[in-house]
Amino acid sequence: MAAISQPATKALPKTFSEVVHDVPPRERARQTILYVILIFYTLFSLGPFLFAFISSFKTYADVLTPSFVPHPFTLENYQAIFTGTYSNFFADYFRNSLLYAGGVAALNVLLASMAGYAFGRMEFPGKTFLFILTLAVLMIPTQLILIPKFLVANSLGLTDNPLALLVPAMVTPTNVFLMTQFLKSLPKELEESAMIDGCSRFRIFWQIILPLARPAMTAVALFSFQGAWNDFIWPLIVQSHPQNYTLTVGLAFFKGNHYTEYNLLLAGAAINILPLVVLFFIFQRYFIKGIATSGLAGR
Amino acid sequence: MQQAATLDTPRDTGLGTVQGRMGARRKKLREALSAYGFLAPYLLILGTFTLIATGYAFYLSFFFVDFGFGEPIFYGFKNYQHIWFDLTHNGDFAVGLKNILFYTVGVVTMQTILALGLALLLNQKVRGRGIFRTAFYLPSLTSSVAISLIFIWLYNTHGALNYLLSLVGIPGRAWLFDPTTSLPAIMLLNIWTTAPTFMLLYLAALQDIPDQLVEAARVDGANSWRVLWHITLPLLRPTTFLVTALGTIGSFQLFDQVYIMEGAEGGPIRSTITPVLQIYNTAFKDSLMGRACAEAVVLFVVIFLFTLLQRRFIDTSIQY
Repeated sequence: MAAISQPATKALPKTFSEVVHDVPPRERARQTILYVILIFYTLFSLGPFLFAFISSFKTYADVLTPSFVPHPFTLENYQAIFTGTYSNFFADYFRNSLLYAGGVAALNVLLASMAGYAFGRMEFPGKTFLFILTLAVLMIPTQLILIPKFLVANSLGLTDNPLALLVPAMVTPTNVFLMTQFLKSLPKELEESAMIDGCSRFRIFWQIILPLARPAMTAVALFSFQGAWNDFIWPLIVQSHPQNYTLTVGLAFFKGNHYTEYNLLLAGAAINILPLVVLFFIFQRYFIKGIATSGLAGR
Repeated sequence: MQQAATLDTPRDTGLGTVQGRMGARRKKLREALSAYGFLAPYLLILGTFTLIATGYAFYLSFFFVDFGFGEPIFYGFKNYQHIWFDLTHNGDFAVGLKNILFYTVGVVTMQTILALGLALLLNQKVRGRGIFRTAFYLPSLTSSVAISLIFIWLYNTHGALNYLLSLVGIPGRAWLFDPTTSLPAIMLLNIWTTAPTFMLLYLAALQDIPDQLVEAARVDGANSWRVLWHITLPLLRPTTFLVTALGTIGSFQLFDQVYIMEGAEGGPIRSTITPVLQIYNTAFKDSLMGRACAEAVVLFVVIFLFTLLQRRFIDTSIQY
């Protein structure tokens, strides 16, 4: 058996066990320890999510039993949220979160690209100052300006309506920084011939630069979406009517009313987490590249 | 639509035909105008909600602002005197600062070490590196609210953590309701959620280290530990500074998790109260916006000094 299968396996990429057996014993021990640690941390990292997700299908009586199989399996927790007692509220929360996250993502892609284009590819007086200002602002703790930001928003009539969430976050310094770094790296020649042909800066930006900036724009869209989807304190302070709550704020109040009904809380957590996880799996490489360059995911 | 106007001007003039006659100065002016056109929305938002708001915070900290009940009244240093009184009499803000210092030192140290450790592991020749990286990153992706809800359940007296501990014979406890464990429980949760983001930063920095440097050291007979200690870690210093600075700023602003898991009072017996929680309470429960701004200014100074201190301890210059 072994002799027959030998030639076939040779051509294939090495299997895990082959790799392990190729290496000297010391190296093999090292490798084993490495994988044991990695697998252990994977369990540590994913375990709470998996266990919580499984338990969101348990009943109230069962939710604290340490078993990996819901007994009985129930969809009641999700039904309560989607079609039952709380469905009216959750429909609003969901819509508001989608509007906030989607709107912020779209606006940041456009406006941060525009600002990034000016910073990255144009010369104008005040450029250095404004760019340093952008970097400096990244270091201002957001909570320092929470109260005055609220008062400014309030005096502009931007409280207790969907715009209260969208407007202050529609273009953030982090995203401007990310777009600047990316657009700067594109070759200068891109504009030169278009300039000679008499194209305006706006047309160059729209027709030449934007199509090339897709990877960075995707990263900006994802981080903005993530930041707004997960945002808690700002929607908490600017929205005072339940029909304007986002999912995070709605869940916080939901928790206040159902403190010990973990089955409901876990289902609520799941509907908050799952959309992002799906997005993350589709766009993984943009997420990871973006964090590596900016280090400021979801801010 | 300010920017549409500035952008249209050059097109109307017809860049191509006038270009020859146009002086260099006019060309520069036009370039500047369109640049500011591109920047207009950003500068407007930055100016309103960050710069004016920052100035407003300092300004209001000298006022008595009873939100919704009349104009601000000049208050001199009274807000700061209140904070000083609070600080010297073990008030909520003082306890909050003490908690957050303990929290920040613990969380930043642990999450930096963990992030570096995980990055070093994944920087080895590992099969399925992408899968591990994704798995490790998941806690950083999810919202603080959802994670807090999950951990309320895990930390429950009859929850999974106590069950696991009972398997190895350690008696469980009500982690979130015991003042000695409430803050460490939240620290553990936040180390777990923040470390993966910083792991990605370290991983990117590790991949930038030139292979020749490590190989040269190996040829000179250095073992793995010596390479790590004398080559890799010194080269990672700028990343370490970034990671600790971002970590510090983030940690000092702890709010969401405590608000969800322990409530706005930061219980039990103030063991999890934080400065931001206190700012929130001052502003929206006591309706004292001016004092809340003064508290924010004090918090800002503390964060700033803390970051400066770090800068002194972590030498960011690289010597090849």
